[in-house]
Amino acid sequence: MNKNLDTILAIDNIEVMYDGVISALHDVTLSVPKGNIVALLGGNGAGKSTTLKAVSTMLASERGKVTKGSIRYDGHLIKNQNPTDMVRLGMVQVLEGRRCFGHLTVEENIISGAYSRKLSKQEIKNELEKIYNYFNRIKDRRKSQAGFTSGGEQQMIAVARAMMAKPKMLLLDEPSMGLAPQLVAEIFNIVRELNQKEGVSILLAEQNTNVALRNADYGYIIETGHVMLEGTAESLLKDEKVKELYLGISKEGRKNFRDVLREESA
Amino acid sequence: MTEFLFFIEVVVAGLLSGTMYSLVALGFVLIYKASSTFNFAQGAMVFFAVLAFVGFMELGIPFIPAFFVTVLLMVLVGFCTERLVLNPLMNQSEDTLLMATIGLGFVLEGLAQAAWGVEVRRLDLGIGDFPIEWIIDNLGLFVSALDLTAGLVAAGMITVLALMFKYTKMGLGLRAVADDPGAASSIGIPLKNIMLLVWSAAGVVALVAGMMWGARAGVQFALVDLALKALPVLIIGGFSSIPGAIIGGLIIGASEKVLEVYLGPFFGGAIEGWAPYVLAIFFLLYRPEGLFGEKIIRRV
Ligand SMILES: Nc1ncnc2c1ncn2[C@@H]1O[C@H](COP(=O)(O)OP(=O)(O)O)[C@@H](O)[C@H]1O
Ligand SMILES: [Mg+2]
Repeated sequence: MNKNLDTILAIDNIEVMYDGVISALHDVTLSVPKGNIVALLGGNGAGKSTTLKAVSTMLASERGKVTKGSIRYDGHLIKNQNPTDMVRLGMVQVLEGRRCFGHLTVEENIISGAYSRKLSKQEIKNELEKIYNYFNRIKDRRKSQAGFTSGGEQQMIAVARAMMAKPKMLLLDEPSMGLAPQLVAEIFNIVRELNQKEGVSILLAEQNTNVALRNADYGYIIETGHVMLEGTAESLLKDEKVKELYLGISKEGRKNFRDVLREESA
Repeated sequence: MTEFLFFIEVVVAGLLSGTMYSLVALGFVLIYKASSTFNFAQGAMVFFAVLAFVGFMELGIPFIPAFFVTVLLMVLVGFCTERLVLNPLMNQSEDTLLMATIGLGFVLEGLAQAAWGVEVRRLDLGIGDFPIEWIIDNLGLFVSALDLTAGLVAAGMITVLALMFKYTKMGLGLRAVADDPGAASSIGIPLKNIMLLVWSAAGVVALVAGMMWGARAGVQFALVDLALKALPVLIIGGFSSIPGAIIGGLIIGASEKVLEVYLGPFFGGAIEGWAPYVLAIFFLLYRPEGLFGEKIIRRV
């Protein structure tokens, strides 16, 4: 995709290192058009979370650093911002593994998402009601301690909490992780609804290629810190290599794109 | 009957002095929750705060302004600690942080003595360490006015802090950070501000405790050790539990007085100093997570 006026996020050729030595991303370039859902696909350790954390600036707290390339978000060059700045700019990351505040109630969790905004009690109440409309399932559990809710409910809490910050863009890290297919579908329906009704742009990291592409507009596939393939969700779903490697229709011995490309060139 | 009344008196005095342990332990819990480190500098903060307060009074500043100036000073200490010690060490191991707080303790002790000298000061709060007549007349108990004041002040502060955690935005932020600093940061809760809040609160707690203790025994270096009695309190109550800090403080306060009075003579007295640690060791052996050690909630 070329950079046009309607791009909300443009990652240009970034390299990321952890601890100054471990190189996790080599040359990742991707962009998210305003109002779109873009999927970032790849196996464990491919660099999906690292990419999202580079954007949200959460990398710094893990001794990671963008050592090359640039990230532009909504007219800002992302450089010395911290996560609080990014949330104020309307960019919120939902971390891998949901990370609810276990000792807080469901409702306290969600309210905590509004920390960066200056809202009155009444405004918070209104916002809450608006958000519960999308997340009916957790509305009934608002007074429960979040640590005792189910995995699916915790994922909803985490997304609802992020929505309380009134984001322009959400970074979702593996929302389907460890959930039953029915719940995954439920969560993706909510994500699409939020995208359509609230106009939130979404960058979605997933290992569940099938579900992700069915809900996204565009997709990128990364392996060991390199973008291997990109295309519209539709074209990726039809792509033979993607089918073979990521949609579970695999021949023996070929585990990733690199192998396939090597075989083909041999 | 008089035997029993005497026992009650001992327990009441113990509980009243225990509230102050609870308050100081609460200062530890706050910092422990926000940064997972045991703040070994808390004792030094008590010493530093009350010495500063007495120092300001000696300059002729009246009681109330001197109190608030010292509160500001303790907020400044919290600010410097966050900026100069904790922030640079962010993402380091908990051991590193622990060493840093020990170092900070030495710095504060040194600074305090450099600025205000080493001799024991008297601090007169205008409240005597005498029994209150009304209580003698009505309940037949001897309860010291100073004990009662200290107990009420500590209980009041604990209540205010507990309400703040539960009902204010900052309190919500603090509880969120205590649960998961990474997740808190991801939704825009500024960890720096929360740290500053926690260290300031611990500073004010240190000042109040220092004033109450200093009024009884003089403002002196021994306050550092007195404040470290929060350690057995926390072992008993559980390091991350606010109710644990409160109950633990009361248990230590009451039991050390009872032991002192009834067993002290067999050990040649002054067992108050070490009895709490013996109690704590029993807990370490039989209930290492403390009375209120929090259930670890497994994240699905
Ligand atoms: N905090 C870290 N310190 C060092 N290396 C890391 C850290 N986090 C991730 N990595 C490494 O970076 C690579 C990409 O990891 P990650 O972005 O978490 O992948 P994914 O989210 O796609 O599973 C992996 O090789 C991983 O081991
Ligand atoms: Mg990941």
